Amino acid sequence: MPDAGSRAESDLGLRGLSHLVIQVSDAGRAAAFYAEVLGLERSTLPWPEAEGAAVLAADGGQHVILVPSEAQPDLRETGVHHAFVLAPGARDKVARRLGAHGADIFTYSEDPPEESKDGFYFFDPDGNRIQLIARADTDAGGAPVLHHTAIQVADILWAEQFYAEVLGLTPVHRVGWATADYARAQAWADGKEDMAPGTRRMDKRYSSIVNNRLVPRVNMQVYFACGAGRLAVYLANQHFQESPEEATTGVPRTGLRVSPAGLARAAERLNTAGWRFEGPVSHDPGLPIAASIYLRDPGGNFIELATAGDAAR
Amino acid sequence: MAEAETLSHSGICVHDLKEAEDFYCGVLGARLQGAVNFFTEDTLNGRSVHQAYSLGDFLFAVALAPDFMPMPPDGQLKGAMGIRHAFAVERAAFDQVVAGLKSKGVPFEGPVDHPEAGPFGQSVYFKDPSGNFLEIVWRRDEDVAYAAPPDLDVG
Repeated sequence: MPDAGSRAESDLGLRGLSHLVIQVSDAGRAAAFYAEVLGLERSTLPWPEAEGAAVLAADGGQHVILVPSEAQPDLRETGVHHAFVLAPGARDKVARRLGAHGADIFTYSEDPPEESKDGFYFFDPDGNRIQLIARADTDAGGAPVLHHTAIQVADILWAEQFYAEVLGLTPVHRVGWATADYARAQAWADGKEDMAPGTRRMDKRYSSIVNNRLVPRVNMQVYFACGAGRLAVYLANQHFQESPEEATTGVPRTGLRVSPAGLARAAERLNTAGWRFEGPVSHDPGLPIAASIYLRDPGGNFIELATAGDAAR
Repeated sequence: MAEAETLSHSGICVHDLKEAEDFYCGVLGARLQGAVNFFTEDTLNGRSVHQAYSLGDFLFAVALAPDFMPMPPDGQLKGAMGIRHAFAVERAAFDQVVAGLKSKGVPFEGPVDHPEAGPFGQSVYFKDPSGNFLEIVWRRDEDVAYAAPPDLDVG
């Protein structure tokens, strides 16, 4: 159930997702895949805090940054994924190209109503899960636009408090707080609904000492408005290795685009909250981002707040 | 079997925890004290999904019902689906509390006058968004210091 206006914005002048920094084993190979399959444009520009990266441009000045990394966690069974919006015709084209690459396509029922059934998921060559959402109101000839990214946390209330109260984001969709969500989890357990990995789980019962019956449950999720896009936060269904507590930047990382005034306000808000961050850092002229604040959220996820630079189309 | 000394806490099942939080905190002024199963560790231990609230010195848990519960008819404001919780307010604050319910759009029945010989003054009856019946009452005996319970330890 939506909590507020679906396009509510925080006072950070939030415009949407700015960029995603994704871990891959081979940046060149992954970049070729993203360019060929999704139609993202290769860029030769360097990217701050992303050494050895391949940079790809999506529509609207958004970027996907592929960073080579030897040790990658297996995120295939988690809620972590990245979603792009594109026109229905472009969606079909991507499906054909994936077929040519021998990549499988997965379709699921969705929790957020706006994601409907008119899309699909696939994995990049490194096991990163990508979702495509087809929308008739999207530019048919354009490259996909980043719509949302889903991160996981071990404490969803703390995460919500951080994003809502410190960064001022508005929750617009939530799963796992209502009995109706558990009815859907039961439908999933009965094989009546196919749901994306990381959204449901079979759970042992705290009190079931005698019978070890499992019950279907929902993994809690909160979606925050982020301009026209979303930042999705999932409660992790397994323990995972968090980033070092003292770190403020790293990979993977989610970049949110804010206004210059919003960046200054974010620094004030983080200072007031006593939250560790780095910046604002000014970048070299001519890059897609002009200045950034780097921080680590309560789940150990790296978040970057960035203003648009000269090269943001 | 040990004798029960007093009520420790109650558990109230609801259909939507967020809606319940808005109601118990926003309308009744309860304070959120804790939450279970919003953490990966809890989910791995299979704990139930619930939150704990305090209202005055009363502690209660609001638990997410795993299955839909029967709901009373919309128009029924007074009753008990197995249980009804009654919260006491001071007589001087009662009218203001009732006005608060009205201004927050919570339908209620009453105030109902209780017999003058009894401990209760007046009550209003209403329910939470999941159909749990609630009551707010002021007590005629609010200033009465009751005698300590008799010492039954006859040795």
